[in-house]
Amino acid sequence: MDSWVIGMMLGVSVFLGSIAVVALMWAIKKGQFDDQEKFLNSALFDDVDELNDAARVEKKKKKAIDKKKEYRPE
Amino acid sequence: MSEKVKCDHCHLEFSKDVMIEDDGHYFCCNGCQGVFHLLSDQGLDGFYKKLGDEKLAPPSQQYEDSANFNAPAFYERFVSVNKDGFSEVSLIIEGIHCSACVWLNEKALLNMDGVIATNINYTNNKAKIVWDDDVVKLSEIIDMIRAIGYNAYPYDASLQEEKANKERKDYYLRIAVAIFATMNMMTIMVAQYAGYFTGISAEVKHILNLGEWALSTPVLFYSGWPFFKGMYYGIKTKTVNMDTLVTTGSLLTYIYSIYITLTRSGEAYFDSVTMIVSFVLVGKFLEALSKKSIADTLDIMGQHLVSDVKVVENEMVVTKSVNDVVVGDIVVVSIGDRVALDGEVSEGSGNFDESSLTGESEPIFKQKGDAIISGTVSIDADIKYRVTKDYAHSTMSNIVSLLENAMNNKPRIQQIANKLSEYFSSTILLLSFFTFIGWYLYSSNFEQSFMVAISVIVIACPCALALATPVATLVGLSIASKRGILFKEAAQLETMAKANVLTLDKTGTITQGRPEVVDAVLLQEFDTSMLYSLVLNSKHPIAKAVANAIYDEKLFCYELESLKNIPSQGITAMYNGKMLAGGNAKLMRTIGVEVTSCSQNSEFYFAYGGELLAKYELFDMPREDAKTSIAKIKKMGIEVVMLTGDHERSAQKVAEMVGIEKYAFELTPETKASYIDKLHEEAKTVVMAGDGVNDILALASSDIAIAMGNGSDIAIEVSDVVLLNDTFSSLYDSFKISRRTFTMIKENLGLSLVYNGITIPLAMAGYVIPLVAAISMSISSLLVVGNSMRIKLGYKD
Repeated sequence: MDSWVIGMMLGVSVFLGSIAVVALMWAIKKGQFDDQEKFLNSALFDDVDELNDAARVEKKKKKAIDKKKEYRPE
Repeated sequence: MSEKVKCDHCHLEFSKDVMIEDDGHYFCCNGCQGVFHLLSDQGLDGFYKKLGDEKLAPPSQQYEDSANFNAPAFYERFVSVNKDGFSEVSLIIEGIHCSACVWLNEKALLNMDGVIATNINYTNNKAKIVWDDDVVKLSEIIDMIRAIGYNAYPYDASLQEEKANKERKDYYLRIAVAIFATMNMMTIMVAQYAGYFTGISAEVKHILNLGEWALSTPVLFYSGWPFFKGMYYGIKTKTVNMDTLVTTGSLLTYIYSIYITLTRSGEAYFDSVTMIVSFVLVGKFLEALSKKSIADTLDIMGQHLVSDVKVVENEMVVTKSVNDVVVGDIVVVSIGDRVALDGEVSEGSGNFDESSLTGESEPIFKQKGDAIISGTVSIDADIKYRVTKDYAHSTMSNIVSLLENAMNNKPRIQQIANKLSEYFSSTILLLSFFTFIGWYLYSSNFEQSFMVAISVIVIACPCALALATPVATLVGLSIASKRGILFKEAAQLETMAKANVLTLDKTGTITQGRPEVVDAVLLQEFDTSMLYSLVLNSKHPIAKAVANAIYDEKLFCYELESLKNIPSQGITAMYNGKMLAGGNAKLMRTIGVEVTSCSQNSEFYFAYGGELLAKYELFDMPREDAKTSIAKIKKMGIEVVMLTGDHERSAQKVAEMVGIEKYAFELTPETKASYIDKLHEEAKTVVMAGDGVNDILALASSDIAIAMGNGSDIAIEVSDVVLLNDTFSSLYDSFKISRRTFTMIKENLGLSLVYNGITIPLAMAGYVIPLVAAISMSISSLLVVGNSMRIKLGYKD
């Protein structure tokens, strides 16, 4: 067996693994594991309504920010 | 007995005839009814579906005016403005106990105009709320939380807590990288070692080495960064610490391994680099994880501080910030208010709860001319008082600043492992240096001398030493927590093992904290239901105790007329045209009943129509297992002292009952703390067990503070150890477990030193080949872990 095959396999597996690690680190940084209870219960509160609400809140926030900008143009 | 139905809001069950019926729904109180209607109006009744069978606490309706939250002083302290120009506040929400509660709060707040974002943490009930202050005010937000049946108060999410969270997260990230790399490294090492024995082509070995190099680099420089920082601070303060050894060891090994890889000669040690960094990092993380922050405690304390008071000015009542009140101002206190400043009553009278200062739950009656102390709560008093001390000098804010001080200066006994590692590190570095010089002089071969010197550091690198303490304490902690003893910080096991004085609070710690009927003298036959209906109308602990003592299924509740609660005397009422009276001797004399009292205990008399019917004696009894446990603790060679705010007679009585010879009485929170400071001066290590707000200063100044599980929030916060099951035998257990753990720590340290004592000379003589190094390293770690498990022996549960 050519030794470059070993090198390639080593490289690919470490690369794939590191993608998972980076994803985990991103999730930790974003605070997804800060509240373990909420994290575990989130499956129970994951309905169409919740998604709609989340979208509405985003819109509301955007509107509020726009309004702020009108008030105090900086 | 009528049928029981569930309240449609809080799900508590009550008999049907006391419930409020409303359109087919039943409610136990107006509060529940209000919340229920509010939720259906807002379209939030999905809450009940999510709630399932969980029970809620019925909403309370007594809150201080929420307008206080709009005061500029309040905004300045708690509200911050984020970069989008929105206001942010951190709140602690009371009453959250299931995920449906979190859902409801978030939904209800987001439905409000102007609220931009809410994030409620279910685990610690802390919430962060972002809103547009031009649209909605904080008071409206708080009102909404209260309207749906919860309560909220702000806390200062100041740097400390944020910092602790950030630090923890930082560790998670570093450990994730370290563990990932170490596990991959292990698979490569299987190939390397297999090759070492059965032969491996130089080409393959080179590739494996390159792979190891790639994996160990992030571990050393990313995961190991805290060690580099630690070494830097060590150099700055001119001390050699564990970090110095870990960093020099792993860095030198890393450089040496790169050299080996590039020159394709000998064996690389990249695996040791990752292993050492990962192991020591995990050990360090375990330590950091259990460190509690002072900030959290002070947050809870903030609840007990009043920020605004009502002051009489030109015949008008105005709300003022406590800092603006000057000596001589007249302050109004209404029922349920907490007193903010020390003063003297100038008008009115009533009962005050002084338990936060004395620990005694009995209400104290105050009238014109009596001193009034900050931190106490008005039970039924509507009074005015003249301020005699400004806010900064008032008792409660004094206690808070003393507490802050005491917690920051809490005595920290130097941990044995830290001390050891300092000597150890410098010795190893010196040894390796001399090895290099010796070998160089002996063989004049730079490469070989360098290699041997490095192998000394690699061999000595303290995997086992780093694991010795954390593993033993972890096992100790898990045994303790199974028995309902919660150590908040691992290092406390070690401190507690060295303790030689135990100080105990009386009320609520040694005793149960509530009076019990110990003797009943029935002078005449009478209908017990009369007494029962009477005492049910009082919230006084003595009346409650009597009600408990005479309770029986067959009792009825009679309709009583013209019920009167007479402060610090008792209760009277009319029944069948004659007067019912229950209370102390003073009350009996007032209504013209002759009594002779001579008991040491509290007494409760009961008279009907001017005739004395019964007499009850009450006493706050010690906990059942107090006496035996205290005897066992004394046997361990620990001195037991009782500290109480109570007077001498009852202190002496309780001390005798539980077998304590030494006690101090009539102590204030400050003198309790100074008593402990005095013990410190005698070089004693003090454990303090308490339960109330009056104990917090003493708890904070002791080396180890133990709180009873049913103690006040602050006491639990300040404490290092919490006895969840609230028994005295677990107090004894906590001493036993900590001593056992400490013995194990010492054994572990001994083991790893013996291991080093054998291997270091071998390494110095140049006899250590990589295989021996790897095997001996894992064996020593296994020995330490295995030995720690022995703590569990003898605790079979």
